[in-house]
Amino acid sequence: MKMCKCEHLIDDYLFDRLDDEKKNKFEEHYFNCHYCFEKMVERDELISIIKQKGDGIFQDEYVVEEGKGAPWFEKIASFFTPKQWALISVYAALLLIVTCVFIPYFKSAPPQFFISEDRVRGESITLISPVIDIKMVPSKFEWKDSGEDVEYKIYIYDNGDKLWASTTKDNFIVLPEKVRKQMTLGEKYSWEVKAFSPEGTLIAISSKVHFKITEGE
Amino acid sequence: MDKRKQETNLEEIYAKYGPVVRFRVRKSIGASNPDWEDIANEIITNVIEKIKKKEFRGESSIGTFIYTITSRRIIDYIRQKTKVLKHAPEPTPFPDPHEHVENKERAELITGAIKKLKPKYREVLYLYYYKGLSREEVAEKLCITPHRVSERVNYSQKLLKKLIKK
Repeated sequence: MKMCKCEHLIDDYLFDRLDDEKKNKFEEHYFNCHYCFEKMVERDELISIIKQKGDGIFQDEYVVEEGKGAPWFEKIASFFTPKQWALISVYAALLLIVTCVFIPYFKSAPPQFFISEDRVRGESITLISPVIDIKMVPSKFEWKDSGEDVEYKIYIYDNGDKLWASTTKDNFIVLPEKVRKQMTLGEKYSWEVKAFSPEGTLIAISSKVHFKITEGE
Repeated sequence: MDKRKQETNLEEIYAKYGPVVRFRVRKSIGASNPDWEDIANEIITNVIEKIKKKEFRGESSIGTFIYTITSRRIIDYIRQKTKVLKHAPEPTPFPDPHEHVENKERAELITGAIKKLKPKYREVLYLYYYKGLSREEVAEKLCITPHRVSERVNYSQKLLKKLIKK
């Protein structure tokens, strides 16, 4: 039996919620529409039984308490229809597959940076200390290790002019006393580190970090 | 031959529209009113007579024709009662459970089926039919859309039908 566009009026009619005009029209309608009449009789019976039995038939196991909504998972579940949930699941699965397949490719591509006009592909070096203004002349410069068999070259600049440079295989270097003595209170200095492979290829470089010695020793 | 055909038609009309007329009368004058059955039978008899006398000329549908006769008779009855009682009859709360639930076994069957429903369907029936809240009020309480309320009400009725048939 085909559905009827007036079906939504059945409950309002049974609960006397229709105004006189709509009520009369619907009454004439169900004299002509067997579908609506049958539905109405079914609902009328259901309402009668529910009213007769009272809320006992609902209280046995579960009844929504006044002022309380459904459990959170039902609220979420009811936000979409089952068809919509199925579609969302398919999209989520596709997104997951695309992510798993393509992310490794992106991750394997090392960062690029420029030195003068040469493009260098490799990791950047993170400088640890000193990276902010300090109260005394630093004795040790430290950065993050870039791996084994790497030779680091450290450059210290005094107002842009190279003050000192040295190489090491450790991820730190102790400043020689003679260089420390050249560094003075109130001056601005900067430093950077470059990493080279055993073949002498530049593989990583730090950014140039500035620091100021605010007080003397 | 024509007479036999007419008789068949009248039987069909009686079978099809008898329950509709009874429902309409019961709804209008109240199921607890002892007159409702007499009024309904009177209307059906009247309809059959009018058709026999060829008073139904097909200007409207047969449903509308019977609806008009039913409505007029109900209005007459209410006017008549108003004259006698000097006031309109007290409207009976609808639906009247005692008159409606003729079959106790069926009522138990439906009750059992309601209890078997999932909580999300029972809570909608509880709020919508027992508490008599509107779709919008139920939707607000359950944090779902009014459309979803209608869906759940319709689906719970389908489930009940299925459970009752088992």
